[in-house]
Amino acid sequence: MKDYKDIYIPKATPHDPDSNGHFGIFGGRFVPETLMPILEQLRVDYEKVRFDREFWSEVDYYYKNFVGRPSPLYYAQNISKELNAKIYLKREDLNHTGAHKINHTVAQAILAKRLGKKRVIAETGAGQHGVATATVAALFGLECEIFMGAKDVARQELNVFRMKLLGAKVHSVESGSKTLKDAMNDAIRHWVTNARDTYYIIGTVAGPHPYPMMIRDIQSIIGWEAKSQLKSIEGVLPDKVIACIGGGSNALGIFNHFLEDDSVECIGVEAGGLGLDSKHGCSLAKGSPGILHGQLSYLLQDEDGQILEAHSISAGLDYPGIGPEHAYLKDKNIVTYDYITDEQALDAFVWLSQKEGIIPAFESSHAIAYLKKMRREDIEGKVILINLSGRGDKDMIQAKDILTDVTIKQK
Amino acid sequence: MKKLVAYITTGYPSLDFTVDMILSLKEVGVDTIELGIPFSDPVADGPIIEKANLKALQSGFKIQNLFDISKEIAPQIDTLWMGYFNPFYHIGLDKFISEAKKSKVNGFIIPDLPFEEAQPYKSIIENEGLNLIDFIAPTDSRERIKKIVSSSNKFIYLVAYAGITGAKHSEDLMPIIKSIKEFTNTPVYVGFGVNQATAKEKAKGVDGVIVGSAFIKILLDERLTNSQKIDKISSIAKEIKEKINE
Ligand SMILES: Cc1ncc(COP(=O)(O)O)c(C=O)c1O
Repeated sequence: MKDYKDIYIPKATPHDPDSNGHFGIFGGRFVPETLMPILEQLRVDYEKVRFDREFWSEVDYYYKNFVGRPSPLYYAQNISKELNAKIYLKREDLNHTGAHKINHTVAQAILAKRLGKKRVIAETGAGQHGVATATVAALFGLECEIFMGAKDVARQELNVFRMKLLGAKVHSVESGSKTLKDAMNDAIRHWVTNARDTYYIIGTVAGPHPYPMMIRDIQSIIGWEAKSQLKSIEGVLPDKVIACIGGGSNALGIFNHFLEDDSVECIGVEAGGLGLDSKHGCSLAKGSPGILHGQLSYLLQDEDGQILEAHSISAGLDYPGIGPEHAYLKDKNIVTYDYITDEQALDAFVWLSQKEGIIPAFESSHAIAYLKKMRREDIEGKVILINLSGRGDKDMIQAKDILTDVTIKQK
Repeated sequence: MKKLVAYITTGYPSLDFTVDMILSLKEVGVDTIELGIPFSDPVADGPIIEKANLKALQSGFKIQNLFDISKEIAPQIDTLWMGYFNPFYHIGLDKFISEAKKSKVNGFIIPDLPFEEAQPYKSIIENEGLNLIDFIAPTDSRERIKKIVSSSNKFIYLVAYAGITGAKHSEDLMPIIKSIKEFTNTPVYVGFGVNQATAKEKAKGVDGVIVGSAFIKILLDERLTNSQKIDKISSIAKEIKEKINE
């Protein structure tokens, strides 16, 4: 008999969507008819494994031995001292391939294999999800094609090479704004065409049902671990839980197990880009409800309902939409949402590197930067949990072009 | 007589062109116009129609233009608006309904609004005397076909293959057509990948065809003048109408 006590298995939550995938008015399945039977089948197939010990123990094997879970919860001693608070970093950056994305690609690849699929496809922004998908495709012997906006191919060239090295084919997407949104359009087009034998590993808690719920379930291992780690170190719940938001998977992943704890404030940080009056990625702060990529959620759009380009220094947050559960949690006032600009994120990138010896991803730098945006009374003496969703290795080339010796020597 | 539905992207190369183009299509025997609403993210479309969407938007297309030119088109030929759901949702379905009625547009085709998501809207549209066209895809089971077609009206849009518009794929649709006919008398029109070469074959067993990319390819051909485009597209339409009725 195996001991399952330490195996992560998702649980149903009060915020589960209905059987058509609606979180309140959000979510759903707004896709061409060809995909509806495929999504319905996936919903049924996922429901079968959702609480299945055998499935999750297979996932657990790879988490422990391949990914390196559980990821450490690190007490950031130097910034804690500086801010007079207890800052804990959930070290998803230490996962194999360098971010939280590997969590759901492992679980989805195991599901895809069970469903008899031979090929997987994925869209990617920063390339982290593409790398994580290419990695599990190599591991499980699946063919792999990655869709990536041409602009991101240029700014994340190291990750493009990693994907190719892992055996994936990378399509550089030239349509529209040439970023994540357009990569997802092309991935959907490819999927409609090859739906019968291809599994689409969506990279975040977005897309048509069941993806937002399924990926939230999977990523919630982050908060599940962090909650018990913090409990054994400090014996308390955190006062605040902070995460950056592109589509929202690392955020929901760390928030989910705290949403029912009234004393805990969860804070999602959107990409403020060049500022809210300029170009940014704040679909909650500045967008309105609309339909993109199979879901109803907040979107950046013009008065005609045409989708606008997002902007962020970090490719992984450069998305004009957001997962539908976040839209729902915002409207219900269950989670707080705010933003951090490119400049503030860059400052935090340097700050964490020099204070703690941890180089965060540009995405995660947004969550770190929020520590400095909070009012003093909101932070002093508090226990704060931050999802360090990824490491900065992939951003080195871009950072090297932006940061001068002067800006680096800011201390 | 089998019917021919022509899809034209609104506003490229110009709004006047769209009107002239459609009036010419009417002359050569096109039965219904699918007036395409340009959208920034047309995920059901292949590269040809996607490009026409983008070019129309780049040349300044606004939804108000659609409302305006429909008044010159829809009174003359059976017209449906074909577009992705977001502009309908964002501007408001009620606005689209009232504008459609003003200009005599007969209904909507919305490829990313499948049966389940259409439920809250379908009866609102139909109570106003307009149609919302249902889609059937080759991936649909017999059960699902039954569910969808039971409330169908005007015609059923049968997607010719699993894929996006304008591809060179084909699938054996006979079993699906048989299932549809078992449950409804609503006419079945097949669309996706229909052109001069494939029309006769694709029209087998159905009541009409829907043609888009084969026309839009010519619309995008920069070597042709506007009047050459109209002539060429109209002559292809005429040829297709003949072929499906041979
Ligand atoms: C390190 C890292 N963090 C965050 C994100 C944003 O995605 P999500 O909001 O789904 O966590 C990405 C996306 O690529 C990423 O690579």
